[in-house]
Amino acid sequence: MASIELRQLAKRYGKTPVVHGIDLHIADGEFVALVGPSGCGKSTLLRMIAGLEETSGGEILLGERRIDAVAPRDRDIAMVFQNYALYPHMTVADNLGFSLRLQKLKAAEIRARIAEVADILGLSALLERKPGQLSGGQRQRVAMGRAILRRPQAFLFDEPLSNLDAKLRVQVRTEIKALHQRLRTTTVYVTHDQVEAMTLADRIVVLKDGRIEQVGTPLELYDRPGNAFVAGFIGSPAMNFIPGRLQLDGAPHVLTDDGLRLPLPAAAPRAEHGARVVYGARPEHFTLDDDEGVAAEVRVVEPTGSDTQVALRVAGHEVIAQLRERVSARPGELLRLKPQAAQAHLFDAGSGQRLN
Amino acid sequence: MTHSANPTYDELERAQALAWSPLTGALPAAGAADPVAPAQPWRFARRHARAAAALVLLLVLMFPFLWLVQLALRPENDVFSDELLFTPTLASFAGLLQGNFARSFGNSLLVSTLSTALSLAIGVPAAYALARWNFKARSQVALWILVTRMAPPIAFTIPFFLAYRWLGLQDTVIGLAIVYLTFNLAIVIWLMQTFFEAVPPAMEEAAYIDGCGVWQAFWRVTLPLAAPGLAATAVLCFVFSWNDFFYALILTRTEAITAPVAIVNFLQYEGWEWSRIAAAGTLVMAPVVVFTLVVRKWLVQGLTAGGLKD
Repeated sequence: MASIELRQLAKRYGKTPVVHGIDLHIADGEFVALVGPSGCGKSTLLRMIAGLEETSGGEILLGERRIDAVAPRDRDIAMVFQNYALYPHMTVADNLGFSLRLQKLKAAEIRARIAEVADILGLSALLERKPGQLSGGQRQRVAMGRAILRRPQAFLFDEPLSNLDAKLRVQVRTEIKALHQRLRTTTVYVTHDQVEAMTLADRIVVLKDGRIEQVGTPLELYDRPGNAFVAGFIGSPAMNFIPGRLQLDGAPHVLTDDGLRLPLPAAAPRAEHGARVVYGARPEHFTLDDDEGVAAEVRVVEPTGSDTQVALRVAGHEVIAQLRERVSARPGELLRLKPQAAQAHLFDAGSGQRLN
Repeated sequence: MTHSANPTYDELERAQALAWSPLTGALPAAGAADPVAPAQPWRFARRHARAAAALVLLLVLMFPFLWLVQLALRPENDVFSDELLFTPTLASFAGLLQGNFARSFGNSLLVSTLSTALSLAIGVPAAYALARWNFKARSQVALWILVTRMAPPIAFTIPFFLAYRWLGLQDTVIGLAIVYLTFNLAIVIWLMQTFFEAVPPAMEEAAYIDGCGVWQAFWRVTLPLAAPGLAATAVLCFVFSWNDFFYALILTRTEAITAPVAIVNFLQYEGWEWSRIAAAGTLVMAPVVVFTLVVRKWLVQGLTAGGLKD
């Protein structure tokens, strides 16, 4: 096992840059998720680490070894593909043992390693089947088994769960996490699903347009997103944004164009009185308060049992609120919604940078 | 009868039968009273019409072949008798083996096998390169390869003839194999290119990561997955070489004569020996039939099923 270090890593297709000088250190044994919208360069980044894509600049280090000019076969990195990429003409056992056969290991040892991994992943009964005879979840596990069996320096996952149905996805997600806790192999995991990233990763790297927006632990990104993009990307349902002007006379607050008053934490934000800002509030940071709440028109009420998700209109903006209490309001009714001042986020209206 | 969103086959058929009945002159009153009854004979006819048509078509297509085979099996003296019943004999086949035909047949086998093997050995890697590597003028290269196949074969005869005389390749098995190779290459490259393109690149990438080099990934993963295509291509190459008459006639004299050319000799020198011609024709067809039957399994097998999430 080894750390992975990216130094000014860049990728251009012709003259179009898709990854702009990425610097990132992934510690030995760490689980790092790369997230971002499609086209943000996360898969390209992963494929460069794997060696399937040539770099256009910068360095990749695996431990102390520089690998960006090394062929994929000599990098000692295993990868799980989005569509599994199992060899359809080989049995599960042959798929698992393929890399070991290439390493010219003894047949007895290959058999033993296959048996061990098959046991971990519950594939023992399927070893003689061909991939075509397996379910999606089973194929997924074979793909993971193929990676584990090699005992590589690092695992790369390229959206491994996106082809599974919702229930299986949650199950395999847990399996991946358990596997990492057991093997402690350095892992880079690409996903567009921020819930996957939040639940699995030690650290998350949020990418946009080939640049890193923010790196941090899941809760850091959730609690203190560095800019409006990260704030909107991490968390589901997404954070609500309401534009307005910063007011620093008295308790800091944001005044919307409709004259609604949205409270801010007491600490002074890094902006001047009257600046154009965007007020951010996560759906669960609203309460119903008949005295201090702002008027919000109910549009849709979605009870989930544990809480109630309400879509409302506040000052002409769509707002989603997740309320602990059960709400029986009907569409068109007015509720008094109060954002929790201590949890409020403040972003610059132009740059999107965090201001508090 | 209820009409669901997806009508059953019977329902469709009944509806079609009804639509047709006025055209056949069925009594409208009878049709109105019981829509199903008058459609019954039609239903029978429609159900079996396809099988009957297939049978007729098969007989028409097979007729020359069957006629040739029975001709080969008839005793020599009543080749043209119109009696359907006769005592089959292998005399004409035995006669062929005693003459020079066996050698020509061997030449044909050798030339076809050799040219097929060479075409695959050269064409398959070329097709793979065209399918996987994006280089400048890729499509132009592919097009020019195809163009070699578009010109009429007769355009190449004189150059080949002169060149072969100069090179001493006239009337040699290897010379003929090289001619067929030039024509088969275009087929191999174009067919295999599409078969290779059908193999997902992710398979090869997985192989690279698992420890394969380019060659190993090709040999252990891509080629096995393209095996059905390879089999089909091999059959085509073999059949093209095997069936060629024109070049074999022009470029061979005595040593490297192939079976199709040898058949013509039965017309020229030893009189018109219909039995032998028929027997030789039957033998010429046999390897093609056998070869096709042997690779049929791979021709229809979808090997890539299940390797990827569709």
